[in-house]
Amino acid sequence: MKRRDPWRIGGAVFLAGLTIFALLPMAWMLITSLKTQFAALQYPPQWLPKNPTLEQYSLLLSPGNPVGQEFLRYLFNSLWVSFASTVLGVVVAVPAAYAFSRFRFPGRNLLFYSVLLRNMFPAVVFLMPLFIMMRWLGLVNTQASLILTYLTFGLPLSIWLLKGFYDNIPVQLEQAARIDGASRFQAFILIVMPLSSPGIIATAIYSFIMAWNEYVYALTFINNAERLTLPVGLQRFFTEYATNWPGLMAASFIMSVPVVALFLVLQKYFVRALTEGAVKS
Amino acid sequence: MAEVRLSHIVKGYGTQLAVNDLSLTVNDGEFVALVGPSGCGKTTTLNLTAGLIELTGGEIHIGDRNVTDLDPKDRDIAMVFQNYALYPNKSVYKNLAFPLQMRRTPKADIDRKIREAARLLDIEHLLERRPRELSGGQQQRVALGRALVRDPKVFLMDEPLSNLDAKLRVQMRAELKRFHHDLSATIIYVTHDQLEAVTMADRMAVMHGGLLQQYDTPERVFEAPVNVFVAGFVGSPAMNLVPAQVTEGGAALESPQGWRCTLSPENARKARAASSRDVVLGARHSTITLSPTPLPGGIEGRVYTLEPTGDITFVHVRLGNDTLVISTPPATRFAPNAPVWLGVDQTKLHLFDAATGMALRAA
Amino acid sequence: MANARPGLLRRIVRHRADYLYVAPALLVMLLVIAYPIYDTIYLSFFNTPPNLALEDKIFIGLGNYQRILGMDSFHEATWNTFVWTVFSTLFAFVLGFGAALALNREFVGRGLMRGILLIPYVISAVAASYIWRWLYHSDFGVIGAISVAIGLTENPINFLDSTDFVMASLIVVNVWKEFPFAMIMMLAGLQTVPDQLLRAAQVDGAGPWHRFWHITVPHLKGVTLVTVLLLLVANLNSFTIPWIMTGGGPAGASEIWITHIYQLAFGRIRFGLASAYSVILFIVMMGMGYFYVRALTKGDAK
Ligand SMILES: Nc1ncnc2c1ncn2[C@@H]1O[C@H](COP(=O)(O)OP(=O)(O)O)[C@@H](O)[C@H]1O
Ligand SMILES: [Mg+2]
Repeated sequence: MKRRDPWRIGGAVFLAGLTIFALLPMAWMLITSLKTQFAALQYPPQWLPKNPTLEQYSLLLSPGNPVGQEFLRYLFNSLWVSFASTVLGVVVAVPAAYAFSRFRFPGRNLLFYSVLLRNMFPAVVFLMPLFIMMRWLGLVNTQASLILTYLTFGLPLSIWLLKGFYDNIPVQLEQAARIDGASRFQAFILIVMPLSSPGIIATAIYSFIMAWNEYVYALTFINNAERLTLPVGLQRFFTEYATNWPGLMAASFIMSVPVVALFLVLQKYFVRALTEGAVKS
Repeated sequence: MAEVRLSHIVKGYGTQLAVNDLSLTVNDGEFVALVGPSGCGKTTTLNLTAGLIELTGGEIHIGDRNVTDLDPKDRDIAMVFQNYALYPNKSVYKNLAFPLQMRRTPKADIDRKIREAARLLDIEHLLERRPRELSGGQQQRVALGRALVRDPKVFLMDEPLSNLDAKLRVQMRAELKRFHHDLSATIIYVTHDQLEAVTMADRMAVMHGGLLQQYDTPERVFEAPVNVFVAGFVGSPAMNLVPAQVTEGGAALESPQGWRCTLSPENARKARAASSRDVVLGARHSTITLSPTPLPGGIEGRVYTLEPTGDITFVHVRLGNDTLVISTPPATRFAPNAPVWLGVDQTKLHLFDAATGMALRAA
Repeated sequence: MANARPGLLRRIVRHRADYLYVAPALLVMLLVIAYPIYDTIYLSFFNTPPNLALEDKIFIGLGNYQRILGMDSFHEATWNTFVWTVFSTLFAFVLGFGAALALNREFVGRGLMRGILLIPYVISAVAASYIWRWLYHSDFGVIGAISVAIGLTENPINFLDSTDFVMASLIVVNVWKEFPFAMIMMLAGLQTVPDQLLRAAQVDGAGPWHRFWHITVPHLKGVTLVTVLLLLVANLNSFTIPWIMTGGGPAGASEIWITHIYQLAFGRIRFGLASAYSVILFIVMMGMGYFYVRALTKGDAK
């Protein structure tokens, strides 16, 4: 009887349609990346590549040729910037979140809400003053400028999410540890930190993905080809090899692999990072 | 083991005082219960003693040391929490080892002490489990084990039994008492359950609104409560307390509900000590007799309902708008709404000043 | 008796150690947020030279604001921004909520399905923009080819080079990219609807529509508010998709505030003008920020 529920059938049809909408562009990216340049530029298109080839991938991933060299450098730069800003973000967010959860110091609410407000500010609005500041600090064209900026992107969410975790860790655990002979700091490091590791993982993934995908700051702060990250590098790649659609699709695919893999493996944490807080109210 | 001395301790949160000028000494090897209704400041007092929160005022001594400004880790105390506060990501063994590791005890000693404590508490078979794989009673034992592995000077316990079911609670009560006896430990035990305090403690400290009301042996607190609050809080069912007015220069009491009662000379002297005519009359359920026929000098009331418990039947009697609970042998039968006559044992009567709430003493 | 109500200064001194924990975060935020806000407002009152020699800037009061409000391109961008923000938000929310409802029941492969639907959200906007540019390609685009193949149009549509279609085409990409966000938020919200309540209603004879409307929907008010606000903010601030796909063209038909600001600032190096423009955007954002923090902290009030 339940199987005939029209709501259920409607839901299934809707989901199927949506899945096609979500997947088709990515499927086409993959298909195109397996074509030769000649095969890609045909009308009507080859729905499936007649002679699939991995030539674009080997071009991009082999350091031996100039294209691959350039691409791998961008890839490495992206990894480094994302990794560094994620680690620094966690280091800064953890104590702040802990303090917001546990301590009742004057100005706590005001500070907490102003941290949250960061989510409201458009990246582009900050671009000019930050550009001026980075110029003044001599950081334009260095990856430090990106790391510093990206660090703050993840912070509000990291602090908010981790605070939720610490709120849920009974204060008695720390008290017990302090009575058992730990200092405040030891109680935090030995007892509380391990318990909040799911939250730390969640925020780390979120920050990493944000940094990996960031475009506008990278576009503005860096124009030295040595230091470009992938999102901007991809664009240069595109303008230099304007007609190479299969190459561009292969590059987009490679660029998507780390985040999608990271996300699929740790989906649970990522979803938690996104929805924490919003569903409480 | 050591004595604990709290001198005029104060803890304020904003404008509210959670603990208000409390002084009390726990003797070496004594079992003291801090008891009072929820929110009266018991946990705060215990946390102040442990050093988990900072004093607003006053001093604390443990043994001959002034520990007022010491960290919890330097006070040489152990604590058992209401929710046990076992480290969820550590095995039972590691939970027990933690306080010893923090004190840099040699590995071999750690192992020996853990096995010893585990044997004492009958948790040897649980050592490799995680806390969440244990029942409430088992977690309780582990928490106790973690407290006793390192022979602290004082044990602090914050409602350690209140998360257990009723049967287990009674059993653990006996075990805790035995444990106190065997170790001759100094224990400060917080509970909101007056029965726990009465049955376990050498002395009990009754708190209310951050203030210490009475600090004495359970017998004395039961027999001579210092004020209306303590009278109503200790004992189950609670002491019957009804407002009345002194008349005839103290020789008798009369109630706005219409009854009248002559006082013994001793009680009359107490009544004359009241600051005004208004007093509160207190009588425990077992000190009042009930009669289906008129008693000389008895007060007439009406049966409201009966609560048989097996060996005792509690009769709820209404005197006008006041309700009294009186225990009777199970054989006596009263019908609801039947008239009854109450006889009061004048030697067990309590009189309180209605204005101050304090027990009246013979002048 | 000890002082039970110390003054603010004393409380700050007493808690001084607590601030150490938040200091690094605050320092970074101050550097990267508070200072830029100040600087943006400051610069908005100046005429800045195009070589970025800021020592030579000239104070012109509200001149930049007057210029912006008088520009035709500002009015066109405002209308585009409105269309872009409202429609992107609306469709992303509707698709996301629909998906959340369909996913909010047990079936085999549900986790996988959720994972697949979330992928557009996690891949980079840059990659997405190139993929869709290729899909929309005027000569070799697969969407054009499909619509011809199934007889929808005679010739492939020129999605990105036509002033009529460009906005709609970009909104489709944006919705594709962010409906998963709405989905995951609403799904999390749906999972907090108490089962007991739904079952009780079922026992009382309420049909699925009735249960949805009278139990589920009221319960989702808070999440919906936060989700819609976050979508609005994200859309008002989106840069990558329009910038890479069209750069605001053709003829400004897909120019929105953000791309316009970027163009003024880093294309024509008019920092003063662009700063004033930013402040205008900023005021709109602050209004939304107020509601965001209120929605987020409603349950947390203490
Ligand atoms: N951290 C705190 N901040 C503000 N008020 C508190 C705090 N802790 C306790 N209180 C208040 O102090 C009073 C005593 O609390 P507590 O000692 O926990 O009571 P008990 O343990 O007797 O139930 C209560 O009114 C409580 O609201
Ligand atoms: Mg308590």
